[in-house]
Amino acid sequence: MNEFCLEIRSANKSFPGVKALDQASFRLRKGSIHALLGENGAGKSTLIKIITGVHKQDSGKLFINGKEETLNNPNDATKFGISVVHQERNLIRRFSVGENLMLNNLPKTPLGLIDYDEITIKSKKWLEMMDLDIDPKTVVSELTVAKMQLCEIAKALSLKAKILLLDEPTSSLSPQESENLFTLLKKIVRDEGVSIVFVSHKLEEVFNICDDVTVLRDGENACTSEDIKNLDRQKLVRLMIGRDEQIVKSARKIKNAKDTILALRNVKTELGHRNIDLELNRSEIIGLYGLVGAGRTELMKCLIGQDKITDGDVIVNGKKVTINSPKTALEKFKIGYISEDRKKEGLILIHNVLDNTSITVWSQIRKAFGFVSDGMIANKVDSYIRQLEVKTPSNYQLISNLSGGNQQKISVAKWLAAGTDILIIDEPTVGIDIKTKAYLHELIIKLADNGTSIILISSDMPEMISLADKILVMKDFQMSGIVENDHDYDAVSSKIMEFIHT
Amino acid sequence: MNKKIPNFIFTNQFGLLCLVLIFIVIFSTVTDGFTSRFNIFALSRVIAIDIMIGLAMMVVILTGGLNLALGAIGVCAAMFGGWCMEVLEIPIIPSILLMLGMGSFLGWINGFITVKTGVHSFIVTLATMSIYFGFMTMLTEAEAFRRLPELFTDFGSAKLFNKYISPLLLVSVATCFVLFYVFRFTDIGRKLIAAGANPEAAELSGISVNRMFIYCHVLSGFLGALAAILLTTRIGAAIPSMAGQLGMDWLLPAFLAPVIGGTLLSGGKLSVFGTMLGAVLVTLLTNGLYLLDVGEFWIRFFLGIILLMAVLLDRTREYFTLRKVIVS
Repeated sequence: MNEFCLEIRSANKSFPGVKALDQASFRLRKGSIHALLGENGAGKSTLIKIITGVHKQDSGKLFINGKEETLNNPNDATKFGISVVHQERNLIRRFSVGENLMLNNLPKTPLGLIDYDEITIKSKKWLEMMDLDIDPKTVVSELTVAKMQLCEIAKALSLKAKILLLDEPTSSLSPQESENLFTLLKKIVRDEGVSIVFVSHKLEEVFNICDDVTVLRDGENACTSEDIKNLDRQKLVRLMIGRDEQIVKSARKIKNAKDTILALRNVKTELGHRNIDLELNRSEIIGLYGLVGAGRTELMKCLIGQDKITDGDVIVNGKKVTINSPKTALEKFKIGYISEDRKKEGLILIHNVLDNTSITVWSQIRKAFGFVSDGMIANKVDSYIRQLEVKTPSNYQLISNLSGGNQQKISVAKWLAAGTDILIIDEPTVGIDIKTKAYLHELIIKLADNGTSIILISSDMPEMISLADKILVMKDFQMSGIVENDHDYDAVSSKIMEFIHT
Repeated sequence: MNKKIPNFIFTNQFGLLCLVLIFIVIFSTVTDGFTSRFNIFALSRVIAIDIMIGLAMMVVILTGGLNLALGAIGVCAAMFGGWCMEVLEIPIIPSILLMLGMGSFLGWINGFITVKTGVHSFIVTLATMSIYFGFMTMLTEAEAFRRLPELFTDFGSAKLFNKYISPLLLVSVATCFVLFYVFRFTDIGRKLIAAGANPEAAELSGISVNRMFIYCHVLSGFLGALAAILLTTRIGAAIPSMAGQLGMDWLLPAFLAPVIGGTLLSGGKLSVFGTMLGAVLVTLLTNGLYLLDVGEFWIRFFLGIILLMAVLLDRTREYFTLRKVIVS
């Protein structure tokens, strides 16, 4: 009778100091794929946590299959067939695929021991249903990131999930892998009658696979369960950020085409890179594109001396050099690296804004006996914190209390403060909302225009094509080709894909 | 931008200060002799050493590690100093410098092994504790050095401020101020803290984390030797058993002071004056209970309970980090 398998009516939820949800509503049609959109901090995660029973709404009602229900904990949600696949992997890496799939429901022999044959048979069923060609006995850590993602979905289905929540499932997948995932999602919706809630920052994907859209902005509905056919990209962006999207002007002109600041010649590394050649000119943005596991981040870590280069030449400003640590890279050659993993490698979460932004400049600004005061630091970095419009109540706020976008701004700001000549930027906009993303894009272009040379690693094809001057494609720890970027999306992207698949 | 330094009232140190005052009031009313000149002087000598031991452990906890060999390093430094002064007849000041050098060197060995092998400092220092102590016992044949220069031992029994306070306490408090300065106002101190908080991020931000970790261990050895010097002047001799079997008597006060004082066990956040107050609190408590005729074993029991409670506090602190300054 009721076509909605899940409905939330006027939910409110407050946390100390913030109203996370303000009269938010949400309706999921049976057998549909429903996009849940919004910038970071708009209340998406809170809504998901209410649906999965992690949080309880302060007021408002929740209906499952037309009946009002209360979810007190995640187990309740599981009982109703609600399952969530998080951005973070929830598989046990040292267990086999089969063990992971059956973990909540391990088959036992009459003696009470685990029945491994039965695990293989049962899990095989779920893997086949998803057209996954994986041996259930494979250890999870040997799978690619994409396969792990698919296994998580298989695991969710094995729990008899009827409502599946996917939180940014494609953030670490290549376009091809995402495409495969979408085919599968459509298949399970059609064949198994599953309904899917899909959270993503990539609007292309939303238009590709979703039927309905709900947009949250500052905890309120900007639109509720709208049919996607009534919307286009422009409208959707306006709903999300409350204004039109600023499209980054892409066609940059490089002034002096030949002013090589960094070159790698036939480089080999201890991590397995070989025959790596690379040339970076002043004021140039070169992109490193490749699938996850192509060795891009690893190559950059070798360049800054975190891991070793075993053969070949590194040439900075025309001179052959050896860079044996990030400290040398920064202090001697002014090379900086903005990590893709800002929480683990980029920032110190338990320290404040001021300390995080200034970590790269302490050696520069110290006086006699190493004296460095907060005042001296603020003098040095305040302008960058303000220039990047970091939203923080004070410079003494802990980084862990900032939103993802603002954290990313801090991890950029500390390298601006360091005054680098060469900046390596690794996946700058993963998990970042559209507004901050556009801002960071403009910033990267401005930096390059002002003389910084940039190596950009990104798996986001539109981002790569709108920013890079030339694109190096990597595959299996080798360079597989160079594409001069004329910013013609279709032509350039197909050239890139060719290099990846040859 | 408003630069509001959080109110002192909300800090951990203020809470500790209140506790210290409360215990002072309680003990001076319910016991005889707590406020006597003799007792306060004795307290000040014990507090001085406990502060120093606490600081020595604090600087390694900063790296997210620990130094079980602290007591062994202290005893080694003391015995080495005793040998220098008594057998080699080296003057006091050079002897003291040699003792500090010995402590630093033993700390360096800990740090070097920890960094190069990547093994947790728990295992490394457990091993070196045994090695240092065993080696020392072998060389000294477990004989004490009891004929130290008078000037040296006089320092430990000297009385200041109307004979209430030992000069040893001044040394410890001065050390606190120096450390506070280093961690709060120098680039090297900030780097030590950053390296302890998130080694990966610090390394990629151009800090040599390995070198910082070695510095921390060296500093720990240095402060351990300093504590041993204070202890040697206090008891007037260098004795192999001055810190118990394998130097383990130092471990409980060494962990209690920093953990109570607000130093994060996972590293990257410390409190110099918190450690000082922690040491004061623990010593007061022990002393007061002694005066109340509570048995030795009960006191150990209580100290163990306090350490567990402090660790619990440490866990909650990690989740609800509200304090905004990293050094205080």
